[in-house]
Amino acid sequence: MMRVYVAIVFFFLYAPIAFVIASSFTDDSGLTLKWFEKLMQDSKVISAFYNSLTVAILSTFFSVILGTSSAYAFLRTKMRFESFFYTPIVIPEITEALSLLLFYKLLSFPLGFTSVLLGHIAFNIAFVFVIVKSRLSGYERSIEEASLTLGANEIQTFLKVTIPLAMPGIVAGALIAFTLSWDNFVKTVFTTAPGFQTLPLLIWSQAARGVVSPTLSALTTLMLVVSMILAYLYVRISTQRG
Amino acid sequence: MKKLAIPGVVYLLVLFYLPFFIVVLYSLGFPNFTLEFYAEVLDPWFFKFFLNSLLIATITTVLCLVLAYPVAYYIALRAQRWKNLLLVLIILPFWISLLLRTYAVMVILTPLGLMFTFTAVVIGMVYDYFPFMVLPLYASLEKLKRSQLEASYILGASPLKTFLKVTLPHSKPGIVAGIMLVFIPSFGEFVVPSMLGGTYVTIGTLTWDLFLRYHDWWRGSAISVIYMAIVLIAIAIYMKKAGRIEL
Repeated sequence: MMRVYVAIVFFFLYAPIAFVIASSFTDDSGLTLKWFEKLMQDSKVISAFYNSLTVAILSTFFSVILGTSSAYAFLRTKMRFESFFYTPIVIPEITEALSLLLFYKLLSFPLGFTSVLLGHIAFNIAFVFVIVKSRLSGYERSIEEASLTLGANEIQTFLKVTIPLAMPGIVAGALIAFTLSWDNFVKTVFTTAPGFQTLPLLIWSQAARGVVSPTLSALTTLMLVVSMILAYLYVRISTQRG
Repeated sequence: MKKLAIPGVVYLLVLFYLPFFIVVLYSLGFPNFTLEFYAEVLDPWFFKFFLNSLLIATITTVLCLVLAYPVAYYIALRAQRWKNLLLVLIILPFWISLLLRTYAVMVILTPLGLMFTFTAVVIGMVYDYFPFMVLPLYASLEKLKRSQLEASYILGASPLKTFLKVTLPHSKPGIVAGIMLVFIPSFGEFVVPSMLGGTYVTIGTLTWDLFLRYHDWWRGSAISVIYMAIVLIAIAIYMKKAGRIEL
């Protein structure tokens, strides 16, 4: 009884996604790749893809550096007020997005690539902080102390001992940061101008008018594939080191 | 060593905390000072949109709780060798953006002729937030030992009584956390109502319109400050009950 119910729930959870993927590979006459070909010929899609990728890579890079160094400092000096870094995770994204927009407006900061990137970094620092810190807290300070005792200086110890130990956490944090940035919609839409579009914005601009199309489904499938690859890598890394 | 934290802290201060302060300033009529925007957004014409959001968020939360509880229970206590697979299937949607999941719902609802209705919004919201309810419920039910349930049976309690007296109280932290995780974002949600709901106005769609369509920073700010206040009160209540936030 319960098993049947659970099976039905999982069916409903995945049917829409399966349907989107299926519809992006088919037309009236059967299997086809033409919707994807159409995407590749659309210059708007290409530039949005490029924009999404650039923002995701750069925001991951900066948030990993800022988040990791903060996490390390908080852990080793037992600083308080960690919730400083938790707030961006708990706060609804829309309020964060609109406050950034007002901030930019007040400073007359031009909206576009930079404003979007700065916003994504803020959000991602928090996630990297939480993940790296929870990973690092599993290691004893004594490993670093051993390194210092054996004659390595602070910087050497940090680079040769701490960073390698924290690596699984850093990679996990980077994957989360990349995913959140790659398919971010709310923050991007509030902090961009018409000249700078990302893939989620492109999907929104059509879907918000109620348009469902095979090309749009193909684009959604494309984004799904990237997210799934990232999720897979994340699970691999998380299970590797327990 | 403490210096290492400075770049991250400063970054968030400038690009996260300072902007919130600016929202509060605008809600108070910046560059002037007035409370008229609060008065305006709390008058009946605006206030009905709060009620719309409250209605949607409440229905979504209740439906998610009722639908998710058996699923979480099954994964935690009955699934055995399927447990890991089912858990992955629950976590996977977290990696897919809400926009994409809502589009998937749209693809299903369009041929059914259900688009742009209240029902469509509820279906979309429950679909999107369902995993947020399952996970905390699972986490609390997972700590329940099979032996505790067996003890209750052996001592003569019926399955219903066991559920009401053992399982349900045990899963209370999970229920509270799940309600929080679903209620807070669904109250301010705007992607789902605007994609599936047509003209159904919620706090989320209203905020969107005020900011991005009418550039009405003042009323928009007043509304988001009220929304933030609701969120903070909810979090405070939760913290008091649960002691801390589990991530």
